[in-house]
Amino acid sequence: MKETKIVTRDLTLHYGQKMALNTINIPIPEKEVTAFIGPSGCGKSTFLRCLNRMNDLIPSVKITGEILIDGLDIYRKKIDVVNLRKKIGMVFQKSNPFAKSIFENVAYGPRINGVNNLKALTEIVERSLKNAAIWDEVKDRLHDSALGLSGGQQQRLCIARTLAVEPEIILMDEPASALDPISTGKIEELIFELKKDYTIVIVTHNMQQAARVSDHTAFFYLGELVEYGKTRKIFTTPEKKQTEEYITGRFG
Amino acid sequence: MERHFELELEKLNKRLIQMGNLVAEQVHNVFDALLRGDAELAHQIIEKDSKVDKLDNKIDKLCQRLFALTQPVATDLRLIMSALKINNDLERMGDHAVAVAQKIEGISDYHEIIEELHIDELVTMTDMIVNDVITILNTKNVAFVKDIFDLASAIDEKAQASTAMIMEEMMHKTDVIVVATNLIIILTNIERLAGYSTNIAESIVFIVDGRIMKHKKKTFEALGNSGTETVTDAGSASDQDKDISAEVTPS
Repeated sequence: MKETKIVTRDLTLHYGQKMALNTINIPIPEKEVTAFIGPSGCGKSTFLRCLNRMNDLIPSVKITGEILIDGLDIYRKKIDVVNLRKKIGMVFQKSNPFAKSIFENVAYGPRINGVNNLKALTEIVERSLKNAAIWDEVKDRLHDSALGLSGGQQQRLCIARTLAVEPEIILMDEPASALDPISTGKIEELIFELKKDYTIVIVTHNMQQAARVSDHTAFFYLGELVEYGKTRKIFTTPEKKQTEEYITGRFG
Repeated sequence: MERHFELELEKLNKRLIQMGNLVAEQVHNVFDALLRGDAELAHQIIEKDSKVDKLDNKIDKLCQRLFALTQPVATDLRLIMSALKINNDLERMGDHAVAVAQKIEGISDYHEIIEELHIDELVTMTDMIVNDVITILNTKNVAFVKDIFDLASAIDEKAQASTAMIMEEMMHKTDVIVVATNLIIILTNIERLAGYSTNIAESIVFIVDGRIMKHKKKTFEALGNSGTETVTDAGSASDQDKDISAEVTPS
């Protein structure tokens, strides 16, 4: 069995008076893919954003409980959030490349982390683009604008940009929902490759995608974790009736 | 869920029951023909097998379409997977009914042997197991699955005893060798009808709660305690899927 990378203990989150997450306890294994599924507003993206403390940016948010990464609480007082986010990359639904060249997009993170040697940067860019399965498509136009890439290529560039700072965890918030089936297939294949080196947590509305790419699946509903287990179990013999109804489309 | 998918699943269920009833009727009629030595009825059974084959193809195509177009999961996945297997088992049962029908003419002059061997009791039991399993297919009440297994065991024992008696007879009376061989073939077909009934019962359990019962002798004993209890060594997902998530009870 894989080691546990992330554990939450009684994690509860309020937006003002409204409880968005209710005492979530979940162990997320290292170097595996964990998918969060559930209807809109169930708390899955909120939960994902807790994992790199992105919810800190929202003033009305109040969080109780613990999130341990490698055994350390990421909400403890003395933690350096910038360093934490270096360790935890994030890929969003809509690709968001900078209005810079392909090379500069990937080199941006390492540069602000102090890598200025061009040879070292070139190596990082090439390695990251290769690991994001986009190198062959962009190697001859590294200095062209990233905005000229297709949607699927932009998303893989964003993954390359995430990889460039050598994170341990990659959070993905519906990374393929705006992409065509071919680009989606490439992202899914990439996720499969990346899990050899990274712990991946993905939020998706596409249940077939969760079934295809993830090792574990968590079903959220109304801020609660209804069921969490191996994906092959959740999609064949779920324990809870609510899970069964949701994944078979009989919900509500 | 989308209404049209529900309708397709209902259609699948309906066709499966229709197939079950058709095969049960074939089995019932072939036993009737066997006991009465009715060659005409036997002929009708052989003719009617094409209906079973047609329905078999229809169900296969419907399952293929549902897999391709709806990407089923959980209960729906188990139902469609099992429908394919049940359909196949029913079609084979239809073939066994035909195989019995084909032997009826050859033994119609030896009615007294059928009586001596108490084949009437055996066919009554087999007729019952087929009907019962079709009822369970309709109701999905797995509490009665144990009865199917018990009845199948009794049929096996009885068929084997009858086969032994026939072989004994064959050793002493060479003039009955042809009819005796035909009877042994009939008994083998009867055993297979009971065997397919248990296969279908296992598939129904898989549809209802995901337990995989095939190839697991222990399940018979486990079912003896309760028709619906979880059988952990029966290939159920419970053991192999024990994992990290089990450490924490979801809130």
